[in-house]
Amino acid sequence: MATMRARHKIRAPRRGLVSSQVDDFESIWATLASSLNEIFTRNASQLSFEQLYRNAYKVVLMMKGQELYDRVKELIGNWLRENVQKTVINSIIPILLQAHTAQASSEVYDQTNERREAGEKFLGVLTEAWENHQLCMGMITDVLMYMDRIIAVDQSKPSINVVAMTLFRDHVLRAKVRPDEPTTVSDLLESTILFTIQQERAGHVINRMLIRHCIQMLEGLYENVGADQNSKLYLSTFEPAFLQHSREFYEAEAQRLLEVGDAATFCKTASQRIIEEQERARTTLSLLTEPKILAVVDEVLILRHIDEVVQLEGTGVVHMLDQNQMDGLHNVYMLNARVDNKKEALTKVVSKKIVELGQEINASSFAPQPPAQPAEKDADGKKSKEKPVNQQTVSAIQWVDDILALKERFDNVWRNAFQSDQGLQSSIEASFAAFINLKPRSSEFLSLFFDENLKKGIKGKTESEVDALLDNGITLLRYIKDKDLFETYYKKHLSRRLLMKRSVSMDAERQMISKMKMEVGNQFTQRIESMFKDMAVSEDLTASYKEHIARSADPDQKPIDLEINVLTSTMWPMEIMSNANDRTLASPTIFPREIESVKQSFEKFYLGKHSGRKLSWQSSMGTADVRATFVRSNGKVQRYELNVSTYMLIILLLFNDLPDGASLTCEEIQGRTQIPEHDIVRNLQSLAVAPKTRVLRKEPMSKEVKPTDKFSFNNEFSSPFIKVRIGVVSGGANKVENQDQRKSTEKKMAEERAGTIEAAIVRIMKSDSPSSFFSSLNKMLIRRRQRKTLTHTQLITEVLSQLSSRFVPDVNMIKKRIESLLDREYLERTSEDPPTYGYVA
Amino acid sequence: MPLTFKPWPFLPNPPVMADPALKYVTLVSRDGFEFILEREQACVSGTISRMLDPKNGFVEAITGRCVFENINGVILQLVCEYFLYNHRHRNELNVEDMELPLELCLEVLMAADYLDC
Repeated sequence: MATMRARHKIRAPRRGLVSSQVDDFESIWATLASSLNEIFTRNASQLSFEQLYRNAYKVVLMMKGQELYDRVKELIGNWLRENVQKTVINSIIPILLQAHTAQASSEVYDQTNERREAGEKFLGVLTEAWENHQLCMGMITDVLMYMDRIIAVDQSKPSINVVAMTLFRDHVLRAKVRPDEPTTVSDLLESTILFTIQQERAGHVINRMLIRHCIQMLEGLYENVGADQNSKLYLSTFEPAFLQHSREFYEAEAQRLLEVGDAATFCKTASQRIIEEQERARTTLSLLTEPKILAVVDEVLILRHIDEVVQLEGTGVVHMLDQNQMDGLHNVYMLNARVDNKKEALTKVVSKKIVELGQEINASSFAPQPPAQPAEKDADGKKSKEKPVNQQTVSAIQWVDDILALKERFDNVWRNAFQSDQGLQSSIEASFAAFINLKPRSSEFLSLFFDENLKKGIKGKTESEVDALLDNGITLLRYIKDKDLFETYYKKHLSRRLLMKRSVSMDAERQMISKMKMEVGNQFTQRIESMFKDMAVSEDLTASYKEHIARSADPDQKPIDLEINVLTSTMWPMEIMSNANDRTLASPTIFPREIESVKQSFEKFYLGKHSGRKLSWQSSMGTADVRATFVRSNGKVQRYELNVSTYMLIILLLFNDLPDGASLTCEEIQGRTQIPEHDIVRNLQSLAVAPKTRVLRKEPMSKEVKPTDKFSFNNEFSSPFIKVRIGVVSGGANKVENQDQRKSTEKKMAEERAGTIEAAIVRIMKSDSPSSFFSSLNKMLIRRRQRKTLTHTQLITEVLSQLSSRFVPDVNMIKKRIESLLDREYLERTSEDPPTYGYVA
Repeated sequence: MPLTFKPWPFLPNPPVMADPALKYVTLVSRDGFEFILEREQACVSGTISRMLDPKNGFVEAITGRCVFENINGVILQLVCEYFLYNHRHRNELNVEDMELPLELCLEVLMAADYLDC
């Protein structure tokens, strides 16, 4: 290699490249300067890039780069000052200037058109000057590239292009329009653009491209040479002015709209404005401005006024809800969502409205309540026989229907106008729960609603309709706080439906149970399910008893078909069986001989199967089909099949043993049958007073049944039907409880709750805190020494959280239960401060 | 490079780039050597690419002919060879340096500085 290198001597660069030229700096500059001026005047096509470049190169190699830089800078400055500035200023017509100085005053509005034209011309000239400048500077920068490379090494000076831009800023934009006034071109530019935007806001068509060019110019210029994004002239001067101007505009707009006082218009306009501003920021101004201007609109137009708008009398959200104005509501929602994640203003009004409407429903369901007692009503009202739901029950069902309708309405609004918003949903639900729970009888009413529908309502409906109906009811159930109360009523009503075979469809009943199970949980439906199980078991039992009788009975005896329901007493609401308020079953009903024998036969059969059980007969619940023979006075015989209650059967059978025409007093009947007084009165009323089913004759004829009244068999009874159903007056149907019944239910409820609370307390105190395998192992080892303790507050909180799915327990009640457990030494006080309890195993 | 040029059958004015006068440029040395190469290849040089920028509209951009008053033929040939070499390997990594005659390297260096490449 060494030899190689020796042979090839490196040729020195030709010196002539630079120094062969005789030119000195000044002459080269002269050529360059004239060429640059050619560029400014757009005559570049005659120029050789190479020549210019070479000249600049030469100058730099002569170490005169800095001087060249300064000279070029001066040249550009002169050009801008002498030519561009003049052109621009000359394009300014006095009217523009007047308009600028008198910006706020209204007189200029007369000259809008002229101002617009003048503005457009001015902006046109300015943007053209700017574009020219940019183009020329591009060329000059390219030509002087070699110089720039040297300057860049220096670092202390900006590139010639940047300098040229600052020169444009200083010599053109910041030039005074008139020597004697402070207004600069830039001021005028700003006011003209703002004016144009105002024109567009007022609905005129403007030249967006022109504005866009001006904005681009402002975006291309910087406050300082650092080319820092934030020092863009656009951001430093124009944007703040624009935002301020917009703020004022929208303040005025909001005021104007509020004076009009129409919420729908306000929201529509506001939504429209938002879209407009968005579009303006995107097409005319800068993307950077979009969030800022929207923030201004949000704040000035929406945030400050949304409350007022929402509550506007006569046109606000309440009105929209009343009129079902989906578009309006949707607009309100969208606006509120812009400024508030929680949409508080809207939520508040909607909730208030729901509670208000709910209260109306609550109130109206009380209103038509007749002061008369149901029993009296039945006696004189003919209809009540046909339709055993009394008016209170109707109003209870009406209440549920009304609420469902209301719910449907708000769901609709929620879906269509509120975009299925989560927050609003929960507040709507909370409002529903609030007013539903304000109604003390909501649980009872809801259960009645189910009762009515399962008895009649779902007849002739398709499966999916039934499904929807039940779902609706379940929705209300979700809102009800005291679910245990509902359970009590539901069980009561269900047992009537089951025992009296009033349920239309068992499928629907089962569907209902499974829906409740999903909504409220397993524990809730356990007892209800076991009622169904009893029914199924009883069916089998009846069948096998029939078989048993068929095999063993003597054929002479008139067979009595027995259909029996054996019910587990803990699962069924037993108080409805005895029906009366006093549950002293001192003397069991005395059955007539025929019935008694069947009863004994069944008891024998049943106890043979299941020894050790006790059957107690609930004669108040059953029904019987009786074939009755009526001998008319003319000797004709008429037969009817009567469907009566068990008590009526017993009463009627008494008359079998009597001679024709003989009568019994009420007291006598009671004496012979031991039917409770309350029941006997009602049953006798059904048999003798109700106009269509007077199987017995009563003396004296009156509505009331007195102990001394006489009853005899009415051979003249007639009916258009062969089969006659004789309902028990005000006994058979599920209806709203009267005051006494309600009190007893409440009392029972309180007892039951007490039990539930105690159970919960014990469960909590016994349960291990979160256990891993080791901790439970550990516990096993040290169980004897360590006992679970909880402070009073902890315990209360735990109990509340455990029971909340069933009902909301009263804290006082919990306290009482704790005390009672302490008394009975299930719990002990382990410390006084804070009060702490331990479980005594 | 064989030139196959077919005028477009349907368009009266063929697209700009199809015009050979614009697709190819001529580089001329101070001693009169002419090198014809593709515009794209010549634009490896920053100086030449600006020189030929149609936006600026200097005379070179219009004529497609660049005369370099301070580069002689030998050096310009080497420069052009480099342009082709660079262009050929433009999409590769770890390309070996091009061989240059040692005795010319200083002059080539100056030309490279001048042409910004």
